[in-house]
Amino acid sequence: MQGTSTMPIAWRCAGMLVCVLSIANPAFSQPPPAGRIKNVVGTASILRGGEVIPAQAGFVVYEADKLKTGLDGHLALTLKDDTRLSLDPNTELGLVRFSYAPADGRLALVLKVVRGVVAYVSGRIAKLSPGATRLETPDAIVGIRGTHLVIRVGT
Amino acid sequence: MRLKTGRTGVVFSAIIATAVVIACVRRPVTQPSPEPLELLVLLPDPDHDGSTVGRVTVSNRAGSVELSGAWQATRMGFNRPPKAVETMDKADVERMFGEVLAGLPPAPLHFTLYFRFESDELTPESQAMTTEILRVVRARPYPDVIVVGHTDTMGSAASNYVLGLRRAMIIRNLLAADGLDSSAVEIRSHGEGDPLIRTPDETYEPRNRRVEIDIQ
Repeated sequence: MQGTSTMPIAWRCAGMLVCVLSIANPAFSQPPPAGRIKNVVGTASILRGGEVIPAQAGFVVYEADKLKTGLDGHLALTLKDDTRLSLDPNTELGLVRFSYAPADGRLALVLKVVRGVVAYVSGRIAKLSPGATRLETPDAIVGIRGTHLVIRVGT
Repeated sequence: MRLKTGRTGVVFSAIIATAVVIACVRRPVTQPSPEPLELLVLLPDPDHDGSTVGRVTVSNRAGSVELSGAWQATRMGFNRPPKAVETMDKADVERMFGEVLAGLPPAPLHFTLYFRFESDELTPESQAMTTEILRVVRARPYPDVIVVGHTDTMGSAASNYVLGLRRAMIIRNLLAADGLDSSAVEIRSHGEGDPLIRTPDETYEPRNRRVEIDIQ
């Protein structure tokens, strides 16, 4: 039995069209989002390039973004690989590296806790590729293998 | 002799006085805080029954320690080796970090739906599950849904890639019809390349004709 022969021609054409549009559409050449902010309480901001963007729930984040909470700020986000993060007030966290392409075997997550308190629950990157997840602080490097943890830097 | 001793005494006094002065001047600069400024605590994995704990290695230029048990902690700072692993009191961790832990987003949920042979039509059992999936998505603040389509190994790899994509699209359309913005849905196809049940090529396998749905 030939699988392809029973597939309607129209669907095959639709599929091809999607592929072609994916390549042609400039929106697809932008870096894919690394995750989304799920909750913000008080003041928080995203530092992207030289820009400071007031953070709101629902905003997407990208690799290389820095997230900062004010003295009254809390922020929670989920990354595309299911990694979950929560920031206490007066915290700065850098999404130094996020690469999640399991089909190509490209998996990397590097987070930098500059100051403050961050809770972390690992996602698929840590599960699929032990050693691909790293957390950096001013004093140390934390290698993570499938974990739930909390880290404090400074007071 | 007496003169020599006296001179030695003067030299010694001078050295001690200098040392005291240096110590006094330097103390405010070099005196360390009572505790290193960084603290890491390992917690039980929240998605299991609390019995699973991950593992972390904390290193700097001066040394490294490994944490592998629940409530284990280490302190780091001042370019000294991370402190020996201590086990913290659960109540202390909750007092110090209860707020930030409670602030974590809800755990992602995963569903698998199955399809009829060579088709983007859901099996009756999977069709019945769509109500629950829509309910879960609606209940989440700012949800993201990642849908990956898969096929069995019947037919060519290229046509199965397209079929996997069509299966994922069906789910996206279902979510869109329920009011979810399409920018919150990511669809992908792994075609026949990522089977749940490993089979030879050209093998009829209902369990591989599926979409995997990750709701964040």
